[in-house]
Amino acid sequence: MEPNKILVVDDSKLMHKMFEVMLRQYPLVHAKDGREALEHLDEHGDVDLVLLDINMPNMNGLEFLEAVRGNGRLDELTVIIISTEGTEADTARGLEAGATAYIKKPFRTDELLEVITKT
Amino acid sequence: MSDKTTSEPEPKAGGPTGGASRLSHATMSGADLLDQLRATLDRAGELVRVIETDLGTVGVSASGSDRERTRDLEARLAAAETDVKELAARLVDSEHQAGRLMNLYVATYQLHATLHPSEVQQTIAEIAINLLGSERFVLLLKDEEVPNECEVALGEAIEDDPLYSSGRYIGGDPMVDESLDDGVLRLGPYDDSPALAAVPLRVHDAVVGALVILKLFDHKPMLRGEDRDLLDLLSAHAASALFAARLYAAKDRKLRSLESLVKLARGEE
Repeated sequence: MEPNKILVVDDSKLMHKMFEVMLRQYPLVHAKDGREALEHLDEHGDVDLVLLDINMPNMNGLEFLEAVRGNGRLDELTVIIISTEGTEADTARGLEAGATAYIKKPFRTDELLEVITKT
Repeated sequence: MSDKTTSEPEPKAGGPTGGASRLSHATMSGADLLDQLRATLDRAGELVRVIETDLGTVGVSASGSDRERTRDLEARLAAAETDVKELAARLVDSEHQAGRLMNLYVATYQLHATLHPSEVQQTIAEIAINLLGSERFVLLLKDEEVPNECEVALGEAIEDDPLYSSGRYIGGDPMVDESLDDGVLRLGPYDDSPALAAVPLRVHDAVVGALVILKLFDHKPMLRGEDRDLLDLLSAHAASALFAARLYAAKDRKLRSLESLVKLARGEE
């Protein structure tokens, strides 16, 4: 896919800077937790791709996914989990929760771009 | 966090220096290089297709001169395919190099983007976790009052570690002790040391502490060669960023105290 706008959800300022540089060719929206991400989805109707961390305060990634998948309007949203939680069980849990793909941190730019292109 | 477009970051106090801007420019030039390599690869691929089409047109039942031309085209095709493979390999290398440079740029930028010591420490932790893949690590800062002792400034998953769980490090890991002593970055395995890496934090010629990586995430089996650049960067920049932040915090506290005294003297409080 070629995303129109990407929502980046992570509690790490470093990761937000990283995505800003890595994905400079795309418009980005930033959120530091799941709750803020849901608010941004309401404001930005043109977000079609979410890059989602799991371990965050207030609302973690899996809770965010549950909220998104329960909202019919957001059912078609592409969500890529990007997390340090890297076991097979973690990956399975994320995909079962509704993520389209799962990337383990640390990762390379070309890995991320390949996943974005192929989803 | 407010939404942003992909605009260039604005300079802040303690923000990116000219060096980081040059690195950004180098990253952008690296992106231009990648674009050029891709364009060259596309042209080489097109040449291969043209040659293949020509070979098909010439055919097997051609005359002597045509067969010679066919052999020549086949040789050129083989050379073009070799060039395409070589260009593809160089493109992959360039992309990896650009990725490494980007990591270094972002780490440097973020370390110097704040003058709050706690935020600098948080950035060090985020680099260790998100860029190096560290599951367990500890940041030690030398105690200026007590020689050979360090404060455990921060730690991740060290609650059960006898060396660090008390909040003080008094020695015991030979690799860490040697790095704290001589300021040399060491990577494991190291005799009698459970650590994977001991990264001394240096300000000018003084060792002020160390970042000790104890365990990586299971999905990252070992530190890679490209991680070495990031560890070297941490050794130099993490310490200077922390030093600057602590200096600023101390000056800021003194200034506030003075301001309070002045107000008191003026009867404003």
